[in-house]
Amino acid sequence: MSVTKNQARYADYLRAIGAGRRELSFNAIIPSAGRDARGRPLPAPATGPIRLHPDEVARLLRPYVSVRFLDQLKAVVPLAVYLALFQILILRQLIADSWLVTGGLFAVILGLMFFMEGLKLGLMPFGELIGHRLPRKSPLPLVLLITLLLGIGVTFAEPAIGALQAAGQNVSPERAPYLWALLNPWSGVLVLVIGASVGLAAVLGTLRFLYGWSLKPLIYASLVPVLGLTLYGASQPELAKVLGLAWDAGAVTTGPVTVPLVLSLGIGIAAAAGRGDSGLSGFGIVTLASLFPIIGVLLLTFYVAGTVTPAEILAAATTVASASTEHLAWYARSPGAEVLMGIRAILPLVLFLLVILKLVLKEALPRPREIGLGIALTVIGMCLFNLGLTYGLSALGGSAGSLVPAAFMEIPGADGSPLYRYGVGLTLAVVFAWVLGFGATIAEPALNALGVTAEQLTNGFFKKRTLILAVSVGVACGIALGLTKLVFDLPLVWLIVPPYLLAAALTLVSSEEFVNVAWDSAGVTTGPITVPLVLAMGLGLGNATHAVEGFGILCLASIGPIISVLLTGLWARLHLWRQARAARREPATHSALEAQSPL
Amino acid sequence: MNDDKITYLTDVALITCIVEAGRGDAVIQAAQAMGAAGALVYHARGIGPRERLGLLGIAIEAEKDVVSILVASDYQEVVFEAVYHAADLGRPGAGLAYITPVERLATYIPREVLARVPGQETTS
Repeated sequence: MSVTKNQARYADYLRAIGAGRRELSFNAIIPSAGRDARGRPLPAPATGPIRLHPDEVARLLRPYVSVRFLDQLKAVVPLAVYLALFQILILRQLIADSWLVTGGLFAVILGLMFFMEGLKLGLMPFGELIGHRLPRKSPLPLVLLITLLLGIGVTFAEPAIGALQAAGQNVSPERAPYLWALLNPWSGVLVLVIGASVGLAAVLGTLRFLYGWSLKPLIYASLVPVLGLTLYGASQPELAKVLGLAWDAGAVTTGPVTVPLVLSLGIGIAAAAGRGDSGLSGFGIVTLASLFPIIGVLLLTFYVAGTVTPAEILAAATTVASASTEHLAWYARSPGAEVLMGIRAILPLVLFLLVILKLVLKEALPRPREIGLGIALTVIGMCLFNLGLTYGLSALGGSAGSLVPAAFMEIPGADGSPLYRYGVGLTLAVVFAWVLGFGATIAEPALNALGVTAEQLTNGFFKKRTLILAVSVGVACGIALGLTKLVFDLPLVWLIVPPYLLAAALTLVSSEEFVNVAWDSAGVTTGPITVPLVLAMGLGLGNATHAVEGFGILCLASIGPIISVLLTGLWARLHLWRQARAARREPATHSALEAQSPL
Repeated sequence: MNDDKITYLTDVALITCIVEAGRGDAVIQAAQAMGAAGALVYHARGIGPRERLGLLGIAIEAEKDVVSILVASDYQEVVFEAVYHAADLGRPGAGLAYITPVERLATYIPREVLARVPGQETTS
């Protein structure tokens, strides 16, 4: 009692002597501009903008920047450290150009930070505005056409697409002519086709939640052409080498730009049609957007194969190779090319959104300065990210990929390889890939969001942790399988078709909620850090083990979580069914619980 | 223990602290460490400096946590200072806090607590 009283007195004492405190009248801050007719003081008219001194600006911005910087740092550094440590401790190799790689990783972190913040400030409000207003003002066919075009635009803006294009430079035209042709002279068309496929997926996905279609028939309907074209492609030896690229394209498309922008438009359309935000309406687009590009790329391949012969491609490749030894213009060399690519990725999308806003909606841009700053940040971020991709992530992934085989086979340039006996080394390499996949996925922020949605959707029955674990294990197994594929040069078709058939069979017996969550989890897992890292690692590994092409790891990483989540869902349902049966044996009391269960 | 009898608590102060959404927990922890019994958090959207700062406004989150803490007026200064430092209110854009005198407060007061107050044992 007396102790507390003393404390209070001490506080009073501090207040009295004013240690570090002073008082200031609020009236003194806001000067009066005179008095009104009844003699009351009037405040000065409309307070203008606040002006801050440079040191105040610095203090204002410091926490804002550091929070966002740390977010990206947490995503990049553990993976980079893991890769570096594995190389140094297990493979006993130093990383080449370690300063350049560190600088590149720093650029990736900075770039992603700017990009994400710019997205939040600029493109997202833009997309949401159009998503809300457009469906109310325009007829459905026009809205769907705009959705289609938007799908193309966002695909160009997706950071991971750049990684796919960059990967093409390492493909040898002699061994896989069509793959080289698609990634070099046809790369613009390739991205356009992928974009159009994403656009179509967006249109279909929008129609789906406009009319409340089930996702299952859509999955079957798109799996039939996907698997059919794949089997046909696999039967042609020249075309089989493109399958990995086609399947990886599906995994690449659904990134941090596409998903929110296309979703906001789709949900806006559904809301305008009077169909509110039912729990499932957000799902489906991601699934379709990762299946359709496979069809698109395969069809493009068949078209290229029908018009150009391998000999012509080889001739073109040699002319390009000879041209590249000459002096290149600034925009084709390293720093310039990345900057140009960044601008080219974002500006068309922005212009497209602006045109829709001005011509179709006839509305002014709200808060134009803020949105302008956001777009500028997006462009800066994209350029920095592209630079970092070239010097950091791709270099690190590539060197890891090319050195991992040193654990079990002889690699020129790696001293003392093979480092371990064949079996031990191969196991090490597979474990390495597994842990990499697990670690990269479990940290993916988009997965966390999906976990929350899944938990709400199933009334807390499917725990967030369960989903994250299931997806991570699925991705990890997929990446490990992909590494095995590259080492033994297994044909991709036999690794892809049976799992997808299994997934289709599991889809048939699973409930709609789990089907939605499971198929979407595949697209969500492949974020802007995982994709370039895994792509580069695959290509490096492919080069080192003399595989024809290093694609295919990403698509195996997509099918993994589909199966693991569906299986988890079935297991959970079995568990619930057993509980219910046990409850039925006991009399009455549990029947109320059963009725509430979501399945 | 009659039903119609109400015990009013007087000398109560309400400390309200408005910070960027997500930072409210730090404020509550600091207040609890200073003996605050509990806190109420609500979600709000703030308007003002964010708009008047021009482009710098992006550094201020519009989504806010509003933390309300009721304390005995003797301790309002220490709790307020703890809140002020926990929320880092000396930094531009961090938020604000204020103290409001509360005329009276009524709630259930555990008998054990009442028993400790001199002069109250007989009345209850």
